[in-house]
Amino acid sequence: MTLPRVLLAGFIAAALPLFAAPVVKTEHVEAQLLPEQTHAQPGKTVVVGLRLQMIPHWHTYWKNPGDSGLPTRIKWTLPAGWSASAFQWPHPKNLPVGPLNNYGYEDEVVLLTELTVPADAKPGTVPIKASADWLVCKEICIPEKGDLDLALKVDAAPPAESDRWKPSFERARAMLPVTDAALKADAGITGKNVVLRLALPAGLPAKVTFFPERDNVIEAAAPQRVARSGDALLVEMKLQDPVPKDFTVLKGVVVGQGAWPGTADRRAMEVSAPVGSPIAMAAGSTGGGGTSGSGSGTSGNEVGGSVATALLFAVLGGLLLNLMPCVFPVLGIKVMGFVEHAHGDAKALRLQGIVFTVGVLVSFLVLAGLMLALRAGGTQLGWGFQLQSPAFVTLLAMLFFVLALNLAGVFEWGLFAQSMTSDVSAKGRNADAFLAGVLATVVATPCTAPFMGAAVGFTLAQPAAVSLAVFFALGAGMALPVLLLSFFPALLKKLPKPGAWMETFKQVMAFPLFATVAWLAWVLGAQSGNDGVFGLLLGLVTIAVGAWIYGRWAHSESTLRPVFAVLFAALGVYVAWPDATASVTPGVAANKAGELPWQAWSPEKVAELTAAGKPVFVDYTAAWCVTCQVNKRVVLNSSAVVAAFAQRGIVPLKADWTNNDPRITQSLQELGRNAVPVYVLYLPGEATPRLLPEVLTSSLVLAEIDKLPTGAKTAITQR
Amino acid sequence: MKKVLFLAVAATFSAAAFANAPAGSQAPGFTVTDLTGKPVNLADYKGKTVVLEWHNFGCPFVQKHYKSGNMQSLQKKYGNDVVWLAVNSTNKGSSDWQDPPVVTKELNGFGAAPAKYLVDEPGTIGRAYGAKTTPHMYIIDPSGKVVYNGAIDDKRSTDVADVKVAKNYVVAALDEMKAGKPVSTASTTPYGCTIKYK
Repeated sequence: MTLPRVLLAGFIAAALPLFAAPVVKTEHVEAQLLPEQTHAQPGKTVVVGLRLQMIPHWHTYWKNPGDSGLPTRIKWTLPAGWSASAFQWPHPKNLPVGPLNNYGYEDEVVLLTELTVPADAKPGTVPIKASADWLVCKEICIPEKGDLDLALKVDAAPPAESDRWKPSFERARAMLPVTDAALKADAGITGKNVVLRLALPAGLPAKVTFFPERDNVIEAAAPQRVARSGDALLVEMKLQDPVPKDFTVLKGVVVGQGAWPGTADRRAMEVSAPVGSPIAMAAGSTGGGGTSGSGSGTSGNEVGGSVATALLFAVLGGLLLNLMPCVFPVLGIKVMGFVEHAHGDAKALRLQGIVFTVGVLVSFLVLAGLMLALRAGGTQLGWGFQLQSPAFVTLLAMLFFVLALNLAGVFEWGLFAQSMTSDVSAKGRNADAFLAGVLATVVATPCTAPFMGAAVGFTLAQPAAVSLAVFFALGAGMALPVLLLSFFPALLKKLPKPGAWMETFKQVMAFPLFATVAWLAWVLGAQSGNDGVFGLLLGLVTIAVGAWIYGRWAHSESTLRPVFAVLFAALGVYVAWPDATASVTPGVAANKAGELPWQAWSPEKVAELTAAGKPVFVDYTAAWCVTCQVNKRVVLNSSAVVAAFAQRGIVPLKADWTNNDPRITQSLQELGRNAVPVYVLYLPGEATPRLLPEVLTSSLVLAEIDKLPTGAKTAITQR
Repeated sequence: MKKVLFLAVAATFSAAAFANAPAGSQAPGFTVTDLTGKPVNLADYKGKTVVLEWHNFGCPFVQKHYKSGNMQSLQKKYGNDVVWLAVNSTNKGSSDWQDPPVVTKELNGFGAAPAKYLVDEPGTIGRAYGAKTTPHMYIIDPSGKVVYNGAIDDKRSTDVADVKVAKNYVVAALDEMKAGKPVSTASTTPYGCTIKYK
């Protein structure tokens, strides 16, 4: 345990020259009292600064420390007749710590105090003493204190500014918030937020951050949103829950990022805003280039950045989805459609691009809405939950199979196909574009699971609006390439002219889809066993017969064609449909040589093994989780890892979530997760298990394992 | 490239929920292991008054309440009427992390008597309750409702001498509950060290 070790600097003799303010050094801070002027004048005021110089990365606190911490305090011992003002605090900066936020200072701060000198003060030197205490923190916090003193000269002559500490005082003064009656401020509560409205005749900086004086009104860690509304600047902040009853005035300091118009060196202003009727937050954040994330810090900190970053990554993730094997064929067809239209009407093309985008976005929002509804309903589901249903897997497999047959040229869609040719009405083409958007999203599901797992994990923590925004951004990213192509048909002209190659391309696109079907069959195998796979494959063959009949007699007028086609298709679905009762107990199939000797997971098994002092590794996995499979093949079954496990006697357990298993869901929840993969290492002598990251590397796993004694030592302890 | 992007996406999204359990709301349920590795479920204490005390021996604000004997005496004051659960949400990577045997030793050294000491290393409970500081106190009534959320007392300091002169909000609330009265001060601003979340 660390206790404050106050190392008081030795006092230098009583007759101190004015500038040699003695320094008190503690472990983390150098503290001293500094005079701003050369001497004090009877009947006037003199400013004394408490200078705290923190060691790098450590901070002390503002008058409102934020979520935790303690403001610096000072107690003065002054000659008779003298008095001291309260601190004048330079504006703070955000100091984010995990999910929390503090307001304070790093490096150096000078807290100013005005001392009033009595009119009858005799010329000479007077002792100014103070005892200051401060909490200094980096990650951990240390309370420190110092007894400070200063020999201050009193002289009847007007004082001059002391040169020695000029830069420190100038810096502190520049950071002092300015009080200006021209600043009009009011505030209004809307739901869980308060909106602060600021207006100044000379104008305001493009971006500002507000620091509240009270510690129980604003959530210090919540991002602030800044927007311009006419001449006024709006700052939206999250209120604490509950809001104190006596919250009638929002007081604090507004710090500008960048210049304040019409002033040379203003940095911050005092704000006192009466709380009145609600103020509508302007849409779109700030005309001055600010974004939702940037309103929160003069120091460019991360407090507000997380949502903006999340949105950015969601757009990138969405873009990436286009390259996934499930989506690419759909996209290919769409682009081909564009190629056909490229030499036609640019306006119609643009409209199609927009409609496709709308289709994608609507689908994403519907999915997001579904997730939110389930969340509100209290259902504990992770993304990918739909793949836990054998019926859904079967349905997807059939859909992909039929699409693949179509691409391979077994049959044409009839009415549907017409809409893909150029001579159909604009309306039909737009409906097709919308459907393509929906289809692209739906078929993307299996490939998106790893992304979505993460996205859902994030959005679960967020208000509904943020969740929807993240899903919207994912959709926007996915639709972006098609949208761009539709707006810049010049790019399309770079693509080859329509021709026979298109038919070839289309047929080639069938194969990634067939591959996806193969993968889904494997997933189903893990869920329903060998019989389930056989049923699916047989059903697919029957569906293929239906599709073939439909395609073979495409030009026949006979009603037998649709009847037989539908009959076979229906029979196929019936044959393929999974038997709800047939579910394999997920467990561990025969372990191959050279792989880890997996055993089936159960809470009892973990308890039993850990009680016996054995190290245990648990792999929370699912057949439909692509990341899990990659980790297993590339890392967990690598020879180095297998050898290290054997050497140290680690028991590998597999918790298979391919089918919904409430025990695993609960176990995941206890670990603070709601999606797979999760890797957990239980070590003897450690009460809480170690969580490994979702994306494993061999070196990472080996590094964790290295902390364990090798087999020899284990053997000794077991004897 | 793809892997880098994926890692970036995963890292961005992995921030877990930081919720809140304001006075008047239903207390979020949890199952977690205690210092001895045994599971503790909040639901086990249905029908009893439960106090949650966010704890970290490395924090000078916590030390204030243990060195003064304040927290230990509160843990014992209400006997079996109140189930006192100390919760530690410090992550393993923090320099404030202490292995369970070390915590046990320190608890014994201070004569502390929480009914259970919960090891919330992933910070799941802390985030569900919106616990910000050590100490941060919650009182849950027998029906499972949060009736107090906030500071231990009204003296934000690390000074042991302040304990005697402070108004203890938890004592006030528990006394009111014992007398069958509603808790008059149900929400205050917690003070202390930042919880060292993962």
